[in-house]
Amino acid sequence: METLDPPKNAIELSVFWTWMGEDGIARTKTKPLAEITVKEAIENSAAVSSLFVDRKFPLLIDARNIKSMERDARSHFSTHGRETKITSFAVMVKSPLSRVIGNFFMGLNKPAVPARLFDDETDAINWLKKYVL
Amino acid sequence: MSSNIKDNNSERVQEILDVIMSYARFDFSKKTSVIGNETLDAIGAGVNMLGEELETSTISLKEKEQLLKEIHHRVKNNLQIVSSLLNLQSENILDKRYLDLIIESRNRINSMALVHEMLYSSKDLSKIEIGHYVERLSKGIEHSLSKNDSSVKFNFNIEDGLFFDIDHMIPLGLILNEIISNSYKYAFPANKGNITIEMINTEQFYRMTVKDNGVGFKPNFDVKRDSNLGMQLIYMLAEQLDGKVEINNELGVSYQILIPH
Repeated sequence: METLDPPKNAIELSVFWTWMGEDGIARTKTKPLAEITVKEAIENSAAVSSLFVDRKFPLLIDARNIKSMERDARSHFSTHGRETKITSFAVMVKSPLSRVIGNFFMGLNKPAVPARLFDDETDAINWLKKYVL
Repeated sequence: MSSNIKDNNSERVQEILDVIMSYARFDFSKKTSVIGNETLDAIGAGVNMLGEELETSTISLKEKEQLLKEIHHRVKNNLQIVSSLLNLQSENILDKRYLDLIIESRNRINSMALVHEMLYSSKDLSKIEIGHYVERLSKGIEHSLSKNDSSVKFNFNIEDGLFFDIDHMIPLGLILNEIISNSYKYAFPANKGNITIEMINTEQFYRMTVKDNGVGFKPNFDVKRDSNLGMQLIYMLAEQLDGKVEINNELGVSYQILIPH
């Protein structure tokens, strides 16, 4: 059951919706069968960073509808070597496809901030709450 | 499962297998198609991502190899420049003692340059076969030290397939250079003789033997007391390899260097 619906004020990008939740946790959701290249990854990071100007926050990524993510995009999302406002991120996966992409990303890119895969939204949010500053 | 679905799955498995085989041949141009959200799509996506990672690693490895080749090339060129400068310098020197010192230094440099030259031409850039090295080094020393009426013959008996890395090759090359040069300088007053170089791999160590059939050391020659720089270098370099030097002064001079594995 997908409950992570983008609100009306969400920023809509080519393959993502991005918004800030009332709990201080940012959300980003991939559109159905999203094919993410580094261009979309950079676009998404810029949108996420614009959610709060003066403080850092955790991020919930709903990747349950993802179709593919190219290597440079995976590398970008790992946040290595770049300024980020993200304190941690949780990636929600469900389908076999999103599971493979999620595990590949976590296993090979070793994100620079705490990151975990979840298939339950409540568990993901509870984990992310520890990283709300 | 209907026959159509079964056929479709077989085709997709075959497609994924074809892509895996392409990657095994280092052809990363192919990708599997990901059309839905089923298990085979997930496996296909995993294979595609694996291909991207392999391609990046392969490119990075090739770039590193190219860089290493370039470094060996440059080191060799720089050593050759030093050698050429010494050559030029020697043209203005009339005193035989200084001339000999320059030739000795030049040959030492050449023995190291040859290691780098052979390394950048080698297949894996990290090891060279000592048999080829010894033959080329000997020719170089012969060219440098032989006189017009010289008839010094080399015999090589080096086990095939003995490869050494640069950390072993540089000291071994310098040791060989010193021993062969000593034979040329002192063993053959009539400029005639034989130099035999052997190398075998035993269970515990590599055994390198270099012997000449020359006049041998002078009576009462004491290695510790009467050694020149060349002889001291032989001991120092062998020590660097954790090796041992044994010298025999019967029917010419014979050096045996034992290098542990």
